[in-house]
Amino acid sequence: MLFHYIDLSWRSFKRTPMVSALMIIAIAIGIGVTMTSLSVYHMMSADPIPSKSSQLHHVQLLTLDEERAWWTKDDMPYQVTYQDAMNLLSADLPYRRTAMLKAGFAVHLDNSDIKPFIEQARVASADIFAMFNLKFIYGGAWSSDDEESSAAVVVIAQSLNEKLFQGENSVGKTINLDDMTVRIVGVIKDWPTYVKYYDLNNGAFREPEQVFLPFSLVAPNEIESWGNHNSWKAQSNRNYQDLLNSEVFWVQYWVELPTQQDNEAYASFLMSYMAEQQKIGRFARKELKYALRDVNEMMVYREVVNEDNKILVMLSFMFLAVCLANILGLLLAKFLRRAPEVGVRRALGASKTQVFIQHLVEVGLLGMIGGLFGILIAQVGLWGMRTSNSAYMAIADMDLTMLLAAPVIAVSVCILAGLYPAWLVCRTTPATHLKSQ
Amino acid sequence: MLNMNGISKVYQTEMVQTHALQDFNLQVNEGEFIAVTGPSGSGKTTFLNIAGVLEPFTQGEYLLDGVDIGKLNDNQRADIRNQKIGYIFQGFNLIPDLNLYENVEVPLRYRGIKAPERKRRIEESLEQVGLASRAKHLPQQLSGGQQQRVAIARALAGKPRFLLADEPTGNLDSLMARQVMELLEKINQDGATIVMVTHDSELARRAPRNIQVVDGQIADFSLYQGNPAAVVGV
Repeated sequence: MLFHYIDLSWRSFKRTPMVSALMIIAIAIGIGVTMTSLSVYHMMSADPIPSKSSQLHHVQLLTLDEERAWWTKDDMPYQVTYQDAMNLLSADLPYRRTAMLKAGFAVHLDNSDIKPFIEQARVASADIFAMFNLKFIYGGAWSSDDEESSAAVVVIAQSLNEKLFQGENSVGKTINLDDMTVRIVGVIKDWPTYVKYYDLNNGAFREPEQVFLPFSLVAPNEIESWGNHNSWKAQSNRNYQDLLNSEVFWVQYWVELPTQQDNEAYASFLMSYMAEQQKIGRFARKELKYALRDVNEMMVYREVVNEDNKILVMLSFMFLAVCLANILGLLLAKFLRRAPEVGVRRALGASKTQVFIQHLVEVGLLGMIGGLFGILIAQVGLWGMRTSNSAYMAIADMDLTMLLAAPVIAVSVCILAGLYPAWLVCRTTPATHLKSQ
Repeated sequence: MLNMNGISKVYQTEMVQTHALQDFNLQVNEGEFIAVTGPSGSGKTTFLNIAGVLEPFTQGEYLLDGVDIGKLNDNQRADIRNQKIGYIFQGFNLIPDLNLYENVEVPLRYRGIKAPERKRRIEESLEQVGLASRAKHLPQQLSGGQQQRVAIARALAGKPRFLLADEPTGNLDSLMARQVMELLEKINQDGATIVMVTHDSELARRAPRNIQVVDGQIADFSLYQGNPAAVVGV
């Protein structure tokens, strides 16, 4: 019977092509606008590393003195000091961990036609690759010996390897970062994320870095951070060493805690660490405070999807509701005009339910066609966003979930709009229209 | 077959109450062919609608084939219409988007009959009304008489035991009307019970039993043929 209803719906479209086209256009525009904003929202709010997001934890420590307030909503600094990062790195604990910061260099090769270019870098511990599921194409991470000896080594990403070495195995070759010559020990696939969840201090939607250096190179090479520096204490940092020893927050710190027990153990470790630091005059406060947030908690905390995005999605759904109100009016007119035919069908044995379903199938089909056109409109909208602002390059896109969601939403809302007209027409008394036909 | 006892039908609006049928009593036996006549507004069509389970009645008891129609819900009423009753209307009431084959198919689909059986029945009934070769035509491509024959084919395809005809020849010329009447007589001879509302006294006289409805009641009856005991309404 379903195919029969689809056939009847198709005939109905052909009988009233203008009204049907108007309804399809209304649905398509409504769905197009809604799916454009919803797709961006979906990409923004999606878990960027589902297999690890509950295990990777971002560490925050409240180092401020008792009476000092900070500008974040929970008074916690987003980053940690270099000295805290180094102390936490050296702790004898069985957890993968990485301190990290954003840097940048002029990349150039000896004896090459490639002009020097500026490239952002991530200075981090070797665990970053395993922690954040970064896959190696060639070579591997630098060794602990490399870290301890502050060896000038580097891992680069596939795109950069393509650019510098035409994609061939570049392990063992050297590149120059400013004045520093570093040896390539590994090439990873490009970091597959569109949200820079591991460092949200300079915008969430930026391209991941292509150059990775050991954190142990920070001090000897006096690597300048390209990220944020924040300080609560008046200190005069006259040289790089002063910065390393200061209370300036400029390093991000992540630890991988596979289980809840690990989480609790690490929390306990942080408390004892802060208590230990109090003995040397730091953490001058009664209540010691830390924050351990996993990836998704961190995205909420840093408002990766902010209120504006949510309002935009709400507005687009309201626009869809306006489109549906129009469709409801058109459906009412169309279905009630068909009451005489419904009267005949009811007289010939159609139950109210059968008439109701027949009309819902018709609106469902309208929704499906409108939804498919809506996807096209959404694609145009997303293309417009991508070309207007490079920040949207990675997130203004429809993934499979959204592609499937579009017709489902379209069909659902159309059925919702069609419920009343279908209910009204199914209540047609068979005798009413038979004499008048 | 059909037994109406004390049936009343009142149409109520805010301003006025109209008694379309009052204490209407009628018994129709299996295989009868009854013509119902009466002036306009006398309640003929209301009677036919109630007999055809197309609208509810206000009071009384109506048994169709032993089933108490007053106690049925809407879906059961739809089933009764689909299974037991065939309708022929003055305005034909064919669905304009469907060709003849599909029009005849409508009640069979609602009955849930499988496609091969539907095909057999449709071809048979179109053959019976002499329109088998026009199966793919749309109703508007046919004359009025042909359209009424399609409506008859649609009624016949469901093999109803009870056929209701409301002015079946009202929109036809005399030649067409005679053909349709002959068809109805043949269907009756094949065993179907027929109740036909008509204004045409000549056609009414061809029916074995006549009933006249005046002011919502059976006012008079004349027997041309058949069993007088079958008529109980007064």
